[in-house]
Amino acid sequence: MTEETFSDEILMRFADGELDPETVARIEQAMEIDDRLVTRVAMFIETRAQAQAALKPLLDEPVPEKLVAAVEQMVEAKRASEKAASVLPFGGGRMAGPPSRSQWLLPIAASLAAVVGALAGYWAAGTNERAQGGLWVAGVIRPALGQALETVESGKEIKLAGISDRFRAIATFRNNSQDLCREFEVDSQDRSTVMSVACRSGDEWRVSFAVVAPGDAGGYAPASSAEALDAYLSAIEAGAPMSAEEEVKALTEVRQKDQK
Amino acid sequence: MPEKTDRVQDQLVAFLPNLRRFAIALCRSRDMADDLVQRACERALANEQRFEQGTRFDAWMFKILRNLWIDDIRKRKVAGPQDDIDERHDIAGVSGEREMEARLALSGVAQAIGELPGDQRDVLLLVCVEELSYKEAAEILAVPIGTVMSRLARARKNLAEATGISTAPTRSAVTKGATK
Repeated sequence: MTEETFSDEILMRFADGELDPETVARIEQAMEIDDRLVTRVAMFIETRAQAQAALKPLLDEPVPEKLVAAVEQMVEAKRASEKAASVLPFGGGRMAGPPSRSQWLLPIAASLAAVVGALAGYWAAGTNERAQGGLWVAGVIRPALGQALETVESGKEIKLAGISDRFRAIATFRNNSQDLCREFEVDSQDRSTVMSVACRSGDEWRVSFAVVAPGDAGGYAPASSAEALDAYLSAIEAGAPMSAEEEVKALTEVRQKDQK
Repeated sequence: MPEKTDRVQDQLVAFLPNLRRFAIALCRSRDMADDLVQRACERALANEQRFEQGTRFDAWMFKILRNLWIDDIRKRKVAGPQDDIDERHDIAGVSGEREMEARLALSGVAQAIGELPGDQRDVLLLVCVEELSYKEAAEILAVPIGTVMSRLARARKNLAEATGISTAPTRSAVTKGATK
């Protein structure tokens, strides 16, 4: 009779189900008559079970809210950046790029490049009503929005006349040509949010930047859109936001000019 | 464009408990673990396009997290051979580390796992606790599958010794379920 010897590793593989069926059969057979073999196998089965049981409580432990929130936010930002980049009409394949690049670079670049041509597109593309009630066409602002830009203080929110979109003024500043600019957001009925910048050009407002961000909880564009906006603001060398007094003064001047 | 189902961003939040457990077992401090988990998620999202559809998401995440952890240890310039870069550090490291350990309130077995040499512990965590295959563990640890097996066998022998699991040839230790 030949008594086959099995190494620890083979027995471990047996216990872990990582062994070919033939060897499994041979071990099973040997175990029938060899208690020592059974004990050796049992050790591997037991250590696995014990390790699992010992660390189970860690799995049941609630993940700290802070961590969950941080990760959720990252995921949201990622989704929003993809959405923002894909909403704006662009040939396919834009998102592909060297994988080592920062995750932000491409979406931002896509947003920025697309902005100029896409402004008309966004509002017109959605629905027909949207096309008629659109806030701007080819970068020129409709009266309702123009009025809001000239009257609403930063930090305030209004419903735009005639359409139920909500307008939120964020800040007022001057760009590198000293034109008066306003950063604002518009929540549309379909719950998306447009983060935008409009600047005075001659005697009208022109939208120079817009990112469409999918809104979920009604309002406030997610962080990735803000990144795109920040990139834009630094590109136009936006001055610091005006104080409330400065803003009132600047907006008053604009309104006075309008009346002339 | 791929639909939602298999994407990293859709699986990340649900996977946090597992990822965090692995991190706690690696660095034995909840604060460090949470930071590690957060950075791993960040990296995963940034490299989402590198995740191969159809492969195991958990294995991919564990690899990212463990690599970050290894980087951290390297940055802290722990002297000594690569093989045990982490374990001595964990135990003898920063003052207060012991305290943290106590706060973890780990069972004897968990304690024993924590005291295994790092290379043995990692493979034990991946295969026995997280239930990855040898092959997947080898891929995560960037070692040959034979190395995984020898480390894992040693890890379990050490664990059995530390926790008093019988290795003696008695019948009573044999029957499954009746071994406690």
